[in-house]
Amino acid sequence: MIDEAGPWGTGPFTLVQGVSSITTRTVIMSGEPFACSHLIESEQRSPQLVLEANLDHWNRERGPRIERAVFRNDLSPDQGLDLCLAGDGEVDIVTEVSPADAERVLASDHAKLVAFDANRVLVGIINRGQADVPLDTVAARTAINLAVDRAKLVAQGLNGYATVIPAMTPPWCSGLPEGATPFPHDPARAKALLQQSGWPAGRPLRLATGENFAGLGSLVAWDLRGSLGIDVELIVVPDAAMPAGARRLIENKLGQPWDILLFGWFDLSSEAPPAAVHREFFGRDGAFRAGPLDEGFDALFDEMKVQLDGAKLVKVAERIDAYVKEQALALFLCAPQALYAVNNHVEFGPYRTTFEIAEVTVDEGHWSRVEGGSGYLPPAHVEGEIVTTPAMPIAGEGGGGPVAGDAKQAKPGFSGAAGNGC
Amino acid sequence: MTAIQDGPAQAGTKITPHGTINIVDPSPLNWLFITWNTMEEPVRTDQDGRIVYALAESSEWLDDTTLELKLRAGVRFQNGEIFTAEHIKINFDQMQQWAAPHPPGTWLNFPPASVAEVVDDLTLRFHFPGPDGLAIGKMRGFHITSKEFWGPNGPGFGYKKFGSGDGHW
Repeated sequence: MIDEAGPWGTGPFTLVQGVSSITTRTVIMSGEPFACSHLIESEQRSPQLVLEANLDHWNRERGPRIERAVFRNDLSPDQGLDLCLAGDGEVDIVTEVSPADAERVLASDHAKLVAFDANRVLVGIINRGQADVPLDTVAARTAINLAVDRAKLVAQGLNGYATVIPAMTPPWCSGLPEGATPFPHDPARAKALLQQSGWPAGRPLRLATGENFAGLGSLVAWDLRGSLGIDVELIVVPDAAMPAGARRLIENKLGQPWDILLFGWFDLSSEAPPAAVHREFFGRDGAFRAGPLDEGFDALFDEMKVQLDGAKLVKVAERIDAYVKEQALALFLCAPQALYAVNNHVEFGPYRTTFEIAEVTVDEGHWSRVEGGSGYLPPAHVEGEIVTTPAMPIAGEGGGGPVAGDAKQAKPGFSGAAGNGC
Repeated sequence: MTAIQDGPAQAGTKITPHGTINIVDPSPLNWLFITWNTMEEPVRTDQDGRIVYALAESSEWLDDTTLELKLRAGVRFQNGEIFTAEHIKINFDQMQQWAAPHPPGTWLNFPPASVAEVVDDLTLRFHFPGPDGLAIGKMRGFHITSKEFWGPNGPGFGYKKFGSGDGHW
C-alpha cells in the first residue's frame, strides 16, 4: 500500500492527494516453513484521495479517459449511495452496493445499476476438527450440502444477484471440472446421510456468521433445521468481535466454537482459483482451514503449483475443484455479484477481480463537463488529516435487508469478503 | 499462469481525458485498488480476470527454474524515470528482505533463495530454487516503483510509516 502521495508508479493515474492505507497484524500459522497471514486491524484514509490522469502512460489506448478521480472517504457508504441516487455532482460511482439496495438504484433517475459476476464466493466453512460431531466424515458434510436450497438463498437472500456454483470455482474461471453441477436440494437424502454419519441426538448444529451475512444465515439455518431434523443455533458474531475470531481461526485450526461459519472470499484472477481460494480454505497454509490437514488436497495442490505448462496446471485445478466437492469439504453456496451504482453520464466497465478506472469515461452531459456545471470539489489537503476506522464495519450498517428470519437484520454485503486475512 | 495473453498494443491514438468523477468505495481493499490504479506490475488482470502482460511484454521458462521476462520499452514513471529491468530487480530485492511482505500472506512470497538477474535494460531473469507454476500469477501483486520511492524522501512500502515492509506490499 502507498502511505504517501507522489509520482511513484507508472500507472494510468498519479496519486496527488491523500492516502489509503491499512494497519495489519501478523498472524503466524507455522514456524517452519514460515507461513502467516495478515489481519487488517484498521484502515487509515484521508477524507479525500485524488488521482490525476497520467498523460504520459504507455497505453493511452486503455486510458486514462478522465482527468481526475476523487475518492470521497468523508462519506459513509449509505451517504454516498443517497447522494449518487439523488442527483448529479456529488457522487458518481458507489462500489459494493448491497443487493438490498439494488431496487433503489434501479428506481433512480440519476444513476444506473451495474451488476457483474465477480470472482468472489460465499461458502460455509465446515469445522472438520469438531470433536463431538462427525463433521470429519464425508457423509455428514454431504448431508449439510444437500440440506440447503441454494436457488432460494440467491433469490431471497441476495435478490438474485449471485450464481449458484458447484464448489469453489465459478463457471467463468478456468479450473471448473467438465460437467460439474451444484449439490441438489434433497432434504430426504440429507436427513438419511446425517443419521448414517452418527450425529449425536440432541446436539444442535452451530452456524456462525458475521453481521453482514446474518440474514443469509437465517435462511441457511432454516433449511438445515428443516432438512436435517435437528436444532440449529445461529450465532451472529458482532463486527467488533470478528478480528479476534478470525485470528483464532487462522492461528488455531482446531477448537472453534462453531460447526459452520458463513464466509465470503475473493480471487485475484480467473486463471487458477485453487491458488487464492481453495488453498486458503483447505490447504496446509490456508488461513481459513478449520480442522486437520487434508493430505489429499495438499498432494493435489503440490502437483498443481509446479506445473509450468498452463494447460496442465488448469487440468490439476479442475481435479482440485472436483476433489473438494467429492469430499464436501465446505458448504458450497454461490458466487455473489459485485454491484455498483453509477451516474447516468458515466460509462464504467467493472473488473471481476478489482476496481480500476482507467477505462471510465464521462459524456458531454456530465456535471464536470457542462459549462457552469457544479459538483463536489475536494478541499485542499490538510497534512496529517487521516481517519482511522476499524476493519470490516461496513457491510453490517443500515438495516432492513430483504430476508426474513429471527437474526439481526442487516444488508448482505461483500465488502467484508476481502478479509480478514486481508 | 494458465492463459496469459498479449498485453494490449501500445496506443496508436492518444485518448484525451475529460472530466472528474467522485467515488465512494467502502471496500477494505481500497488501499490495493489505489495501488493498482497508480502502479503497475509485470502482469495485470483484464476485466475478465485474465492475466495479461503489463510492464512485461512476454515471459518464457528457459528451464524448470529460470523464468525470463522481456520488458516493455518506452515506459516512464510519473516522476520521469525511464523504466528498465533495474527497477524490477530493486523492487524484488526489497521485497525479498521481508518474511511476509504481502498483506494476503506468505503464499504470495517467492522462495527466499530466488534471485533476480538483470540481463539487459529490457530483459530480466528470475532464478527460483524449484519450479513455480504460480510465479507469473504472483507477479500480479509485485508492484514496481520508481527508485525515488525507495530513496530518503520516498515512503517505501510501509518503511516511513512502520519501519518495515512486512505486511505492506
